Amino acid sequence: MNGVPLAAFIGLSLFMFSTGVVGVILRRNPIVIFMCIELMLNAVNLAFIAFARYRFSGIGNESQGAAGQMMVVFIMAVAAAEVAVGLGIIMAIYRLKENIDVDELNLLKG
Amino acid sequence: MEGNSLIWLTLGLPILGFLFQGLCGRFLDKTVAGKKLVGLLAVAPVAIAFLIGVMVTKSLNPSKAVVVSSIPWIELKGLSVPFELRIDTLSMTMVLIITGIGALIHLYATGYMSEEKDFARFFAYLNLFIAAMLILVLGNNLLMLFIGWEGVGLCSYLLIGFWYEDIANAKAANKAFIVNRIGDWGLTLGLLLIATLVATSPAMQGETRLFSYDVIFQHLPKILALNPAMGTVAALLLFVGACGKSAQFPLYLWLPDAMAGPTPVSALIHAATMVTSGVVLMNRMSMLFETSPVASAVVCAVGAFTALFAAIIAIGQTDIKKVLAYSTVSQLGFMFVACGAGAYWVGMFHVTTHAFFKALLFLGSGAVIHAMSHEQDMRNYGKLAKYLPITFGTMMVGYLAISGVPGLSGFYSKEEVIGSALAGDLALTGALEVGKWSGWICLIVAALTAMYMTRMMWLTFFGNTEQWRKLEPHHGEDDGHHHLNADHKPHEVPVSMWVPLVVLAFLSAVGGFYLAQGDRFEHWIMASQIGAKVPPPTHPEGIPLMALSIGAAALGILAGLAVYFKGLPAKEGWDESLWAKFRLRARDQFGYDRLMVNSVTTDSAAFSAAANSGFDHGVIEGIGEGAGNLTKSLGGIFNSVQTGLVRMYASVMLIGVVALVLYVIVSFGGVK
Amino acid sequence: MTITPELIVFGMLAGMAALSAVGVVAFKNAVRSALCLVFTFFILGFLYFALNAEMLGITQIVVYTGAIMVLFLFVIMLLNLGASHVLEEKSDPKKAVGIAFGVSLAALLASQVVPLLLKFKAPIPTKEFGSPQVIGKVLFTDYVLPFEAVSVLLLLGVVGSVLLAKRRMS
Repeated sequence: MNGVPLAAFIGLSLFMFSTGVVGVILRRNPIVIFMCIELMLNAVNLAFIAFARYRFSGIGNESQGAAGQMMVVFIMAVAAAEVAVGLGIIMAIYRLKENIDVDELNLLKG
Repeated sequence: MEGNSLIWLTLGLPILGFLFQGLCGRFLDKTVAGKKLVGLLAVAPVAIAFLIGVMVTKSLNPSKAVVVSSIPWIELKGLSVPFELRIDTLSMTMVLIITGIGALIHLYATGYMSEEKDFARFFAYLNLFIAAMLILVLGNNLLMLFIGWEGVGLCSYLLIGFWYEDIANAKAANKAFIVNRIGDWGLTLGLLLIATLVATSPAMQGETRLFSYDVIFQHLPKILALNPAMGTVAALLLFVGACGKSAQFPLYLWLPDAMAGPTPVSALIHAATMVTSGVVLMNRMSMLFETSPVASAVVCAVGAFTALFAAIIAIGQTDIKKVLAYSTVSQLGFMFVACGAGAYWVGMFHVTTHAFFKALLFLGSGAVIHAMSHEQDMRNYGKLAKYLPITFGTMMVGYLAISGVPGLSGFYSKEEVIGSALAGDLALTGALEVGKWSGWICLIVAALTAMYMTRMMWLTFFGNTEQWRKLEPHHGEDDGHHHLNADHKPHEVPVSMWVPLVVLAFLSAVGGFYLAQGDRFEHWIMASQIGAKVPPPTHPEGIPLMALSIGAAALGILAGLAVYFKGLPAKEGWDESLWAKFRLRARDQFGYDRLMVNSVTTDSAAFSAAANSGFDHGVIEGIGEGAGNLTKSLGGIFNSVQTGLVRMYASVMLIGVVALVLYVIVSFGGVK
Repeated sequence: MTITPELIVFGMLAGMAALSAVGVVAFKNAVRSALCLVFTFFILGFLYFALNAEMLGITQIVVYTGAIMVLFLFVIMLLNLGASHVLEEKSDPKKAVGIAFGVSLAALLASQVVPLLLKFKAPIPTKEFGSPQVIGKVLFTDYVLPFEAVSVLLLLGVVGSVLLAKRRMS
């Protein structure tokens, strides 16, 4: 994709990230909120890879070129763990309350 | 190992015995042969320890205390406490009493406890007790004494509560332990105070063994000369400890209840050895008491009062072991009178003879109880002499010894106690000669002693009727496991139980005479008395002491015979409405025990409840709730922000992020 | 700025990704949201390929669209949050605030970032970029400590989710 400027990728990434943010605020279903968080993470991943690709000139050692990609690998792993635990929490809450509307779950109320 | 290091063996063998019984015994004591092996391995360490003790004593030069050092234990800046043993005449006397009588009682217990399922557990405790008691008397510093002190307290607790399934025994064990806590509090403060005093001595040139006796004895006189009041305080604190362990008046109330334990325990711990550790402590720290007439007067007064009080109570008891328990408390009072009067060696003399005859009497009563299928009430005995000839003969010796019949051991030591109290001029508070008063009280108590012991013997072995023949299905307090009935046949005890009885009877008969010859015992013990080398006179001027003692004994015995010759009088039978009021009150310890126990249980609970409802709910919670309400109302101003809606929090965060980005753009100019 | 075929392809992919991303937020039904998200991730995988990051593209499709999204769908089914059980979204001020500020965030960041990068063209890529060999080599040498830490994290995640989702036997 040599003809595409970096700005296009980063713009897409920004758009997706903001969509995710808006989704977290708008939706009341915690699972969908989770999906929106995944969306934000993926937007960031896209930005990482795009930057890595556009910085890498083939000169220097490999780890410089791979740094951005490494970040993506770790983000994926952490995201997987986070989804597993988060969905577990949602299941537990659902079993306890028969309800997972985040507006109803107001234990944090002062 | 050369001579004096052998003493570690004396200490180590009972510990090894304890470890063996504790770790392997439970797998062996299920069979008869296994029980025999366990019994052998319980008696052997103590017996061998006794033989080693004899060897060490033989090679001991009385005028020179030997300190056997070992590994360090506590090493701090300015304080070091090694494990060290002190071999001198006092400690070796106690070692011989503990291991000798201990071995005999172990032997007796192999017979007495042969039916028990927890055979090995019993001997584990007993061996541990011997080890702890040896540490108490042999340790060369106050902290080792403290280890032993607490160790014997623990074993006493474990053994009183040996039959722990019975709630009464568990309660008695707890009582003993808790009451002893009070005494231990005093002892702890006392020994810490002594160490503190020693540390402040100007002559301490880099010496760090603050708790060791040799250091204390070296520096204490100078310190006390500067500060006599402190000596009195320390002495009284130590005496509080001695009161707890040796069952003196304010704290005696655990000892009668301690009879809930097996009889060998009563004999070994609650008559012969552990309860005398208070007297041993007074002998050890005699230098401290000698310099304080006030403390000595307190010791004398407490001892005399305890002797009298316990003797009166003993007359009202119907349980054979309870009689002996109060008798023990009374005799301990005698020992303290002697110590208070300044004749410390007399206290030790009475400890020794008392160990002989009281162990004998306890073991004898155990034999009677054994023969009467665990019935302990003397009102069910009578005419047992023909069934139990050996027990009867040996107990008779013990009875004559404790009554103070001339020629037997009790006579010598008791006479010395009374004499030293009457002659002593140490126990003074102002013009009041406490020592002299105590001496006269002791004389009265001697008569009372002879009387209640006569009562015990006659109700048990003589009389016209065998009381258990007329047992009815209901009688008195049913302790749940005696099966005495009208056609019961008492049987003499097995050989393992009567051999100790005979040995102790021999000692009770001739021990006092032997030790009193040529003031042998006096010189022996006085050798280790650091401090005043001049013993107080034991024969007061112008008082016919010998005649008085013999008279008191005769009076008591004759009075007892007059009342009890025919056995159980109607006035003391099962029908308690016929009892004299005074006797009923005496049996009840004049309400003292109940008062004490209630004051720390129900009364303090009531006080706590009142404090709780009044002070705690009112004041404390008022403060707490007030503070809480204040913060709550302050927080209420802001807590409407906390809606609990996660999405709202996220929106606010987003607003914040946008504001931050805006700020950065504005302040840094942004992209042109 | 000349229109190249590459740009056209990118525009199509990016448009689809953006649309389905909006779909994730807009659909009321959770299952539809999830399917939109699957599609988004799929497109993203293609974009990674386009950026010569083959290894990560494969990983994206396998891990995200394959595993994570299946997990999501599975939980949705399990909790019965499909069409029959749609959470009634009430209109409230948060909606307006969220959209307004989300858009403003995107606009602000884009205004700062995009103009700078417009001239930025990609250099000629080497063969190694994004290949599994390079990724593996770097991962197990320079990044071995984070790698191990992540492995522990994953283990904890497994244990935690099992504990959380377990039925309490009472």
